[in-house]
Amino acid sequence: MSAAAPHAPGTPARWHRLDRRTLLVHCGWMAAPLGSFALTALATGGRIETGAWITLAAIAGSFAVLTVIGLVRWARTDYRVTHDSFEVRSGVLTRRLRSVPLHRIRTVDLTASPLHRLLGVTVLRAGTAGSSGGGAELSLEALTTADAERLRAALLARADAAAAAEDPVISRINWRWLRYAPLTFWVIGGVFAAAGGVYRALDGAGIKPWKLSIVRSAFDEFGAGALWITIPLALLAVLVLGTVGALVLYVEGWWNFRLEWTDAHTLRVRRGLLTTRSVTIERGRLRGAVLREPLLLRAGGGATVRAVAGGLGNKEENRKRSVILPPAPRTEAVRTASGTLRAAFPDAGLHAHPKAALRRRRTRGLLLVTLPGTLVLAFLGLLLTPVLLHCAWAFALVSAVVVLWLARDAYRSLGHGIQGRYLVARSGTFSRDTVALQREAIAAWTFSTTPFSRRTGLVTLTAAVAAGEDGYHVRDLAADGAPALAAAAAPGILEEFLDHGGHSGHGERARHVPAYGQEDSGPGRHRKPLSTHALHRNRDDLDMT
Amino acid sequence: MSAPATPLLRPPRNRVDPRARRWWTVQALLTVSGPALLTALALAVCSVLFFPGALPWLGPLLLVALVLPALGYLLVMPRWRYAVHAWELGGRAVYAANGWFWQKRRIAPLSRVQTVDTVRGPLQQRFGLATVTVTTASTAGDVKIAGLSDADAEELSRRIGEAAQAVPGDAA
Repeated sequence: MSAAAPHAPGTPARWHRLDRRTLLVHCGWMAAPLGSFALTALATGGRIETGAWITLAAIAGSFAVLTVIGLVRWARTDYRVTHDSFEVRSGVLTRRLRSVPLHRIRTVDLTASPLHRLLGVTVLRAGTAGSSGGGAELSLEALTTADAERLRAALLARADAAAAAEDPVISRINWRWLRYAPLTFWVIGGVFAAAGGVYRALDGAGIKPWKLSIVRSAFDEFGAGALWITIPLALLAVLVLGTVGALVLYVEGWWNFRLEWTDAHTLRVRRGLLTTRSVTIERGRLRGAVLREPLLLRAGGGATVRAVAGGLGNKEENRKRSVILPPAPRTEAVRTASGTLRAAFPDAGLHAHPKAALRRRRTRGLLLVTLPGTLVLAFLGLLLTPVLLHCAWAFALVSAVVVLWLARDAYRSLGHGIQGRYLVARSGTFSRDTVALQREAIAAWTFSTTPFSRRTGLVTLTAAVAAGEDGYHVRDLAADGAPALAAAAAPGILEEFLDHGGHSGHGERARHVPAYGQEDSGPGRHRKPLSTHALHRNRDDLDMT
Repeated sequence: MSAPATPLLRPPRNRVDPRARRWWTVQALLTVSGPALLTALALAVCSVLFFPGALPWLGPLLLVALVLPALGYLLVMPRWRYAVHAWELGGRAVYAANGWFWQKRRIAPLSRVQTVDTVRGPLQQRFGLATVTVTTASTAGDVKIAGLSDADAEELSRRIGEAAQAVPGDAA
């Protein structure tokens, strides 16, 4: 079956059924008891007790019931996309028709559990603005992945981006986002941080943790056990602890989260369970938004959003208070950023940076990670034990592969562009940040170079704004394109210092960058008593304008 | 922008005072090179007095790790800096280049100027130099011009002040 495209008005749209594999998905939860039964059978060598047979019968019974229920539900659920709405009909005894106007649909979320993926189907949820938490959401249990993609496109084609910007409530917590909580630093780092905290607290109280008998016996047992099993177990424990910690922190931090325009000029974030936080941002001080995708979160298809706003306190405070969306699906993040900017968040169509930027990232990684690590290991290996020599070449190999992969990813992340009222810049691999900065908010430009970047024709352009982190970088641009970008993005700052004779090419760049070490470089530079002479000249400039 | 060809950012027109080179040299001597050289000397003397056997390997190590970098910094940095540092006051913006290895060129429009500070450190006073810092609302937009002569600094800060007054401001 095929997903519906929006229909032309007049002709009634056809109803579509869910995929047959929905039934299998419904039976999915039977896997665990059946599996354990099979294991029991294996373990007992086929001699199965009466109790087990009764269990099996019960399982078979519920299996049958579930299948029937699933069959009926499958048979009684259908959906269609008419020219102006998305409708889902369901219910066995009570028939329910739910219809959502297409222009109200803000998100279409496709999720597939491992079981779904195995069967090649996916769950589609269509949410409307500000209601993503609860009832006003339509979900379809199982569609083939292709159908789901088509339906999503059909639904979102009509979703009105401008309307998204008009809606006062931009985003609310959706507890399905909890799945992104473990994809943060807290999974591993948090456990060690907590352990460190406990240690320090004990130490502060004058207790030496390693002298406690519990700790000692635990360590003895750990050492006595088979290391190949205790070490993975310990890692697993850390992982589980970290995940639990991350979930707890997520719930605590984002309970009742709500991001909304309380009036035309005030953006408000409210969140928190034990500590409730409320941050209001005046529209006039809101200068842009950052879409942050840390490596792990990005791998899971998630992102968070920060506001670029003035008056949120010092750097530390700003870092805490500017977060306006917890780790959430990327589509939601883009939508939230759009609602915050009241314009579509410019997420695509960025210009790539020169290949030299890729080489630079590779070199930097190899020089700063692979080389020193290998040298240290090799040196120690020569001094102490030959095992370390093997570690050295293994490290060289593995770290080189990782570094090259990260460098490629970092290079692919690079991008910039001017889109509407915004300057957009993207960079980073450990945290890929896409920043959209209001062009009229740019207060100064900085061009930064190093000898290496000058040789390869790269420059990092920094836009200063009186908001957020103050300086936002467009990293490793082509040096001959940077001034034009700066002039186009924020006119009226640097035009008078531009040399318009340029034809591009190396000769020009050589003139553009003064020859270092030479005393007289660059045309028209006044050595020596610059003073009044130079100043008067400048005053003439001033008068002329 | 109006130019058809790719426009390029030219360096600022005015160099800083030549005396700045001496100031930077002394600064390098006091902060980096001097301490490094003294450390090397102290270690070498200690080695000669107490562990003469260590000298054959300690000597080259000190030379490579401390003496050469210190001398290199002392000799290269001030010249390089002097070649880079420059400034210019335009009709609508103030423009400065600074740094040596890592170089920065920063342009801030006069309409965003909040304050103009002239600072003379104890060392700078000896050489008759001053640093003019033009602050904007963003810390990433502060323009610093180091190594101006006193007279230039005074004149410059006065003129930036005047120009900032003349240009309609939106220094928010």
